[in-house]
Amino acid sequence: MSARPFASILDSLTRQRGVTAALVVSERDGIVVESNLQIGQSGDRVAALAASLYRKARLSAKAAGMGAVSFMQLEAPNGRLCAVGGGDLVLVVVAEPAVNVGLVRVELLRAVGELLAVGGEGWGGS
Amino acid sequence: MMQMTVVEAWIEGPLKRFVDDAGAELALLLHPSGQVLAQHGFARAVDVMSACALAAGIHASSAELGRQLDGKPFRGLHHVGRTRQIFLAEAQSPRGAYVFLTVFGPESSLGLVRLYFDELVTGLAAAAPPEAPAPGPALTEHFERDLNHNLAVLFGRV
Repeated sequence: MSARPFASILDSLTRQRGVTAALVVSERDGIVVESNLQIGQSGDRVAALAASLYRKARLSAKAAGMGAVSFMQLEAPNGRLCAVGGGDLVLVVVAEPAVNVGLVRVELLRAVGELLAVGGEGWGGS
Repeated sequence: MMQMTVVEAWIEGPLKRFVDDAGAELALLLHPSGQVLAQHGFARAVDVMSACALAAGIHASSAELGRQLDGKPFRGLHHVGRTRQIFLAEAQSPRGAYVFLTVFGPESSLGLVRLYFDELVTGLAAAAPPEAPAPGPALTEHFERDLNHNLAVLFGRV
């Protein structure tokens, strides 16, 4: 198995203008599986908190009878955080405020299929 | 509501922040000798005593295993149970090394626990009183007396 099985997914995301980081994170553990980060970015911190946020959003949506979460976006003064889930993995993107969210969303949703294909059954499903 | 109790007051702030932020169910800070310094979530002194003895033993064993395998001690251990998980790690402070044990459930995660453990270590280093001397080594002849004293402080019998 490649040392960077998710490299192509992460590279395609970080190629988007305004995207500053992309991470594949274990939803259950909040641990980075693989990431493309810039110098100075704390991948572990983003991974732990984003996975926790995504998990709570997924459980909230389920509790409210809304079904599965397809896309989660957090908007803050200095940037955006977007996430989609696939099995036990969450694909997280950190971006600048002016990023084209529509494009990031399309790219993330496209990447989920690939994420599941690369991750395979070893990552489980939720 | 589970109560947090500490033997030394400066530990309470950083430990409370850890418990709140990481969503920990149980937390225990102890000397590597097994002497308890603070606890959260335990109801009985005997449980604290057992957990401290086991945590100190696991910490000593894993440190020695690390030395033999890798030339340096392992500093952290994570065990996943069916519903709850254990994280055990060494916390360095200006007053020496401590052992930290926490138990967390599905509401938290290893990533969050590791993240806030790092902040706990920083918080303890900042809160440690500089004027107070670090405690000396635990001596066999005083161990039980000190342990009983600390347990009595934690469970309100002093």
